[in-house]
Amino acid sequence: MLDWIIVNVICPCLGTVAFAIMFNVPKRFYVSCGIIGTLGWLVYCAAVKPTSPSMASFFASLTVVLISRVLTVRMKCPITMFLIPGIFPLIPGASVYYMAYDLVIGETREAGQSGFLAIKVAFGIVLGIVSAVSIPREVFGGDYWRERKTKR
Amino acid sequence: MRIEHIIENKTEYMDLLLLTDPQRDMIDRYLDTGDMFALYEGKELCTLAVVTVSGNRECEIRNLVTTYGNGGKGYTRAMIYFLSERYREKCDSMYVGTWNYDESLRVYKKCGFVEVHRQANYFVKNYKEPIYLDGKQMTDRVYLKKSLDAEVDIKRVVNFALDAGRILLKNGAEIFRVDETIQRICKRFHVEKVDTFVLSHAIFINAERDGEEVYSKIKHVPLSSANLLIVAEVNDLSRKITAGMMNLEEAIDELNRIEHLPAKKKYQLIISAGVGASAFGHLLGASAMESICAFFIGCVLYIWVLFAGRHRLSKIIINIFGGILITSMAVMMYVFVPVSMQIDGMIIAGIMPLVPGVAFVNAIRDIADSDFLSGTVRMIDALLVFVYIATGVGLALGVYSNWIGGIGVCLTGLL
Repeated sequence: MLDWIIVNVICPCLGTVAFAIMFNVPKRFYVSCGIIGTLGWLVYCAAVKPTSPSMASFFASLTVVLISRVLTVRMKCPITMFLIPGIFPLIPGASVYYMAYDLVIGETREAGQSGFLAIKVAFGIVLGIVSAVSIPREVFGGDYWRERKTKR
Repeated sequence: MRIEHIIENKTEYMDLLLLTDPQRDMIDRYLDTGDMFALYEGKELCTLAVVTVSGNRECEIRNLVTTYGNGGKGYTRAMIYFLSERYREKCDSMYVGTWNYDESLRVYKKCGFVEVHRQANYFVKNYKEPIYLDGKQMTDRVYLKKSLDAEVDIKRVVNFALDAGRILLKNGAEIFRVDETIQRICKRFHVEKVDTFVLSHAIFINAERDGEEVYSKIKHVPLSSANLLIVAEVNDLSRKITAGMMNLEEAIDELNRIEHLPAKKKYQLIISAGVGASAFGHLLGASAMESICAFFIGCVLYIWVLFAGRHRLSKIIINIFGGILITSMAVMMYVFVPVSMQIDGMIIAGIMPLVPGVAFVNAIRDIADSDFLSGTVRMIDALLVFVYIATGVGLALGVYSNWIGGIGVCLTGLL
């Protein structure tokens, strides 16, 4: 259990914050970046067993973008601040690397497999981002829900 | 052509001033307090202007005269543009009272003045002698007003907007954000018709005002590393500008400050590269010991990246050599650290700091916004980075397994 927490909570959090520092995200966003990265990864973990890696990345990136959009409206900053570090754990870096490596050493079939997996995962991320981005901006502001309540 | 601010001996120019204001005591009312400017072409005095500033952020051109023989050469316009630039900081609007003479009115209106009101028979009542121009008696005084905020040079606005866009694009903003920022800035400074075309590494902009001034510019923005702090700051600046809290001068200064913000301390970058490598390596299945090794690999790798960045080495060299570096360090750790480890896990962890995350996420976002061209370019940029890394890794692994590894096996066999 402790191992699981270290691997799946502390690692993505630390990693996301580390990359937030590398991309020079302003200091006040470090905590939110860490939380977003962790949540995205946890959703990925939960979804990857019952579904597939690509579906899991879809759900994970959807979560990341939704939280990022809420925070963007709250903190008045570009969504990129949260999105780039938050999606980082989901990027199929390993698969793309394997694809490129297999290509370099001449294992074309293996390269095709990992490349195809990478494309599927990337497409999952694309779908996640697109579906979350197409929700109109007002929904993420607090006023929208307050108004709805008062209307009722 | 140059314009001078005249502080002393203003009365020397009385003859000239009398041309447009023919009564001496009327001139004396403003000559002491007003600012006098003279426009020279070579040594010849062409245009003279006197401006007074009143308390509530308003100023008035009290006298504007162009010497005989220099009319119609654009000197008057140049002077008015100069004055509106000069008083934009201090004043919101500029007034001018002139006689009802079509030619003067036409010049003022061309420079952006709008007629506000007329004082009927002003010149008849206040001047002892009747004034005749082209054989017509001048009677009414026409007041014209120009809002100085609107008097922003189209070129400066577009250049500023383009600069803001360039800084955003260079530091890893999405295409649509660059586009939106440029449009907003132009709109705020009254350049209404703007067409922009933003690519991942270039900005094309074309602006038009009143159908007569057209200005277009193209800027090449090489792909480079991301700095999201600058993106956030420019975004804040754009918000402030849109809210009308800044004029162009302040905005230009602020943008200049943002562009020269100090970079992160090197040791912070190096340590976070190490932490990122080990954390994500562990996430991707490297064992605890491998991740600890990956921390050092990440640190050394980033020292190389910073060094290469300072010497402006090409991306290909940075990544291929980065791959070689990662692999050789992983192999060394594998050989010399007496714990059973996999080279593979360390390599995967080690390449994490090189993974082009910004390019990848931005590529996806651009494709999601239907900016396919930029999205594709960025995606290829991201994919090629992987190919370079893999080339480096493959090279180093090949050398290891064929020669050094072979030698190692021989040595162990011999021993």
